[in-house]
Amino acid sequence: MKKITLMGCPNVGKSVVFSRLTGVNVISSNYPGTTVDFIKGTTFIGGEKFELIDVPGTYSLEPTSKAEAVAQTMLHEGDIVITVVDATHLERNLYLTLEILETKKPAVIALNMWDETRHLGIDIDVTKLERVLGVPIVPTCAICGTGIKELSSAVGDAQQSKTLKQMSEEERWLKVGEIIRDVQVVHHRHHTIWERFADTTVRPTTGIPLAILVILLMFLFIIEVGNVIIDYLMDPLFYTYYGPWIVGAVNSFVPSGLLHDLLVGTSTIESLDFEQSLGLLTTGFYIPFGIVLPFVITFYFMLSILEDIGYLPRLAVLVDTGLHKLGLHGSAIVPTILGCGCNVPGALATRILETEKQRFIAMTLMAISIPCMAQSAMIFAILGRYGMKWILIVYSTLLVLYILLGLLLKRIVKGESPELLLEVPPYRKPDPRTLLKKTWSKAYGFLAEAVPFVIVGIFIVNLLSVSGMIDILARIFSPILTTVLGLPEGAIAALLLGILRKDIAIGMLLPLGMTPQQLTISCIILTTYFPCIATFVVLFRELGSLALLKAAGLMAVVSLSVGIIMRVILIGI
Amino acid sequence: MVEKRVGDTNTDRGPVPLTMLLPGERAKIVALGAGSGRQRHFRTMGLKEGKIVVIIATQPARGPLVIDVEGTLIAIGRGMARQILIQKI
Repeated sequence: MKKITLMGCPNVGKSVVFSRLTGVNVISSNYPGTTVDFIKGTTFIGGEKFELIDVPGTYSLEPTSKAEAVAQTMLHEGDIVITVVDATHLERNLYLTLEILETKKPAVIALNMWDETRHLGIDIDVTKLERVLGVPIVPTCAICGTGIKELSSAVGDAQQSKTLKQMSEEERWLKVGEIIRDVQVVHHRHHTIWERFADTTVRPTTGIPLAILVILLMFLFIIEVGNVIIDYLMDPLFYTYYGPWIVGAVNSFVPSGLLHDLLVGTSTIESLDFEQSLGLLTTGFYIPFGIVLPFVITFYFMLSILEDIGYLPRLAVLVDTGLHKLGLHGSAIVPTILGCGCNVPGALATRILETEKQRFIAMTLMAISIPCMAQSAMIFAILGRYGMKWILIVYSTLLVLYILLGLLLKRIVKGESPELLLEVPPYRKPDPRTLLKKTWSKAYGFLAEAVPFVIVGIFIVNLLSVSGMIDILARIFSPILTTVLGLPEGAIAALLLGILRKDIAIGMLLPLGMTPQQLTISCIILTTYFPCIATFVVLFRELGSLALLKAAGLMAVVSLSVGIIMRVILIGI
Repeated sequence: MVEKRVGDTNTDRGPVPLTMLLPGERAKIVALGAGSGRQRHFRTMGLKEGKIVVIIATQPARGPLVIDVEGTLIAIGRGMARQILIQKI
């Protein structure tokens, strides 16, 4: 299968072009040996099947960062390249375009955002540009879908540029200037009212209140809609249809005994218990599908909207000053918000930060004080029944921790914390297709990752309790748990399982009959003491063993101290 | 280059760092004072000699500037902004 690479600068609408050209079978993966992830899919052009690779956006091919180096290699490995150019910023995009065309790969150019050039007063002579660059150019508007068919058929006409020769950096900039003078006329125009309004979202006096409102609304939406999905879709499905069916089916094959308990736990048809029965087919499916998935879907849907509208870079600007105090900069807000979904992509996204110091701080803070959506969903589900107060206590404790640890780490971690340099793209109308595709692929990624771990986790719990190991462990750890933290010794099982998956770990707190105070302390400890195994593996790859050891040591100390402090505050000595 | 403190009443036409501009003011980029790698990065983001910049917003407590370079918004930390020399117009 021939490979087509899709290349371009950041914010040129590359991923929208990608989703227009591909079907649903889209895979996100890491480039071998690096942490740079990219998306690939397949597309049919003229009856032939091609692999389409969405190369990470880059401003040039000079490998000054890992992402750029990967972009360069991927270009060389491809057979044909589609270069996506933002027609409204032709000049800036031409540098990369020239670099790509100089490599003599057969190429086609998608002149994207073509529709916007008209009301921006930009005139581009496409025929002339085609002649200068020596490859086919197709004006497109990926968001509205125009030009995509033409682009797809132009891939057949992709050719090496015969008009361009290898240039030095200086010659290339001169060439860019020359081409711009030749093919582009910009008519003067004033800022539109809309742009003036858009500007207020990056001014501190207006932007910060708006940012707070946006984030509050986002989480309110996630909680409300998540709950509606659970109440009106998931619970009826599980309790009316799936539950009776699966328990009945298991009963008819294995009416009782070890295997029966392993599969459906303590659930019977008369009293279905998906939360506490700890059966592989009951709790093992209910936690990921019935409780967590609804929140994961709504979270990624909201995140994709913020992403596609172009709000995240603005948020980065507004929080930059604050994050600098923690040794980070504004861009760190992106991995942090991603981490609220799942710490794994969150940790991977820290590669947008430039230095080791920033990456270490961002990942450590995330592992300690950012609960993933699966964990949050369980915290809402379990603490929510005692009132909002307890949920607020958990999250404000985590927030205070985030800030205090950041202030500390900024001072003790060696290295540099560089400044922000970031393009703030104009606001765009999100494309519903791309939104749904993104949400789907992320929700699917969650299920593929979570379900096996949850099943294995529940299997281990059953094993531990049947073999009596749990009682032995409980006795060993009971001094710390009961005396120091004020928790029942049975909580050890949850803490052990938390290493595998935090969501089932929190679910396992339920049968212990704890007070809301004890549950709150347990939730805080479960969040902070250690990342789940999937996050741990990513942290190991990203940070290396030594830095991870330091981070893990910090986690243990922080978690125990916070646990003790909260015990004193909530329960007393 | 010696950095001079320039107020709004200043009529000095010599190049000054970008950080000397106030919100709403326009200027032309005349030189980039960084190393070659960062210079390329600046240029590929549109921060090139001859371009007109307008300050859109400044964040408090020495936070970043948001500038408009011919239609593109760029957020830039103050240290880096100091490496971009401009002439007020």
